[in-house]
Amino acid sequence: MRVFSALLDKELRTLFQAPIAWIVIGVFLGLMGYSFTLTLFNNRYATLVHIFFQVAGLLLLIVPIITMRLLAEERRAGTLELLLTAPVKESHLVLAKYLAGMSVVLTMIGLTGAYAVVLGLYGTPEWGPIYSGYLGLALLASTLVSLGLAVSAFTSNQVIAAIVTIGISFFLWMVDTLAAMLPDGLERVFISLSLLARFTPFATGAMYTSDAGFFISTTLLALFIAMRALARR
Amino acid sequence: MADSAVPPVVLVEHLTKYYGARRAVSDVSFDMRPGEVMGLLGPNGSGKSTILRLLTGYLHPSSGRAQICGFDVVSQSLQARQCVGYVPEDVPLYAQMRVDEFLTFMGRLRGLEGTGCARAVADVVERLSFGHYRNQLIGKLSRGYRQRVAIAQALLGRPKLLVLDEPTNGLDPRQIIEVRELVRALANDMAILVTSHILVEIERVAHRVAILLDGRLLGVQALSESRMGLEELFLSLTEGEPQ
Repeated sequence: MRVFSALLDKELRTLFQAPIAWIVIGVFLGLMGYSFTLTLFNNRYATLVHIFFQVAGLLLLIVPIITMRLLAEERRAGTLELLLTAPVKESHLVLAKYLAGMSVVLTMIGLTGAYAVVLGLYGTPEWGPIYSGYLGLALLASTLVSLGLAVSAFTSNQVIAAIVTIGISFFLWMVDTLAAMLPDGLERVFISLSLLARFTPFATGAMYTSDAGFFISTTLLALFIAMRALARR
Repeated sequence: MADSAVPPVVLVEHLTKYYGARRAVSDVSFDMRPGEVMGLLGPNGSGKSTILRLLTGYLHPSSGRAQICGFDVVSQSLQARQCVGYVPEDVPLYAQMRVDEFLTFMGRLRGLEGTGCARAVADVVERLSFGHYRNQLIGKLSRGYRQRVAIAQALLGRPKLLVLDEPTNGLDPRQIIEVRELVRALANDMAILVTSHILVEIERVAHRVAILLDGRLLGVQALSESRMGLEELFLSLTEGEPQ
């Protein structure tokens, strides 16, 4: 645990000391604040459903910017050699980087909680869908961060890591749109892989353990792939 | 100097490494005793760095085995790595970290904590004489001081084996002499495996030399027992070999 906490400390410091995390958080909150205010004034409904979908869409673009450097930069700078020749387990390294990435994304999502507070102060929102929406966002973020980390483990080029992660994330987000063109068996598979189809129930107030299980298992699978990528020697 | 009665710090047996279809290291065997400085000598691309990476656990061998302090570098990798301090060739460091912060981080990775870690960091800083740069950003240090910081991190946790890959690359003459003296001084406490493609560098610090060509070990020779100089030895072993 000592080694793990040293790795996590270093990752958190590296991420939060770099301007990119704060720029990303700032831009994200600016866009979301604008959208929240506009929608609230136009619709006058005490709901965050539209915000949840917008946050989810932005996460597809923003998470790869946060995760692109996690392992690719270590590989490019050669510091991965320092880490992997020290008495450090690959699993600890991957987990520390995953948690550091998650902490930035959860900070970002958590700060949008101010919108829920505003709704609570000036209206009578249904709290169930708000809680489930935030849980859905956290689970979606977990899948996206681990996916970005896994891609980052295979390259030393941050730009390639970001672009490939964005590509895979968008493909998984809307893969259910392909389903209509496919035969029955495959149709169900593609729908079940869709991030949008898995996220929608959370955003609208319905929670299914199968959807939560999907996000958790894709996270574990991506983290496992990242570990295997590091263990390839 | 090495004592052949004590168990070896390094034991390498028939080590082979392929990169795809290319054989980078071919059936290499040697050992090292505590207090011994061994030089791995060979032209660029002869497999020196690959052997170091196999010993430090960064790469896994395709066949053969290697042990550090009795621990297999693959099946007991963490224990083996605990015994090794490693300075890679290009001195990779975290440019955005301060020297103290970096050394503390590396110390914690080696299991040091709190005051024990602070003491270990202070020791290596004093030993390598860069106390006045402790709060400096690593990215702003000269190549010579970066090299010192890299060696300092490798000494944390008192490893039994210090592995230095081309430690004098890019250094000015004064810094080269300092590194040479440091290697000699450190050899009292640990075994040191050092690579170079410069004959004189190896000749001045090593007790034994292993000569590599094209991934093959052509011979291991104790310099004190050799009647010829290292240059002659190198030429005699590589004579007739395809370049």
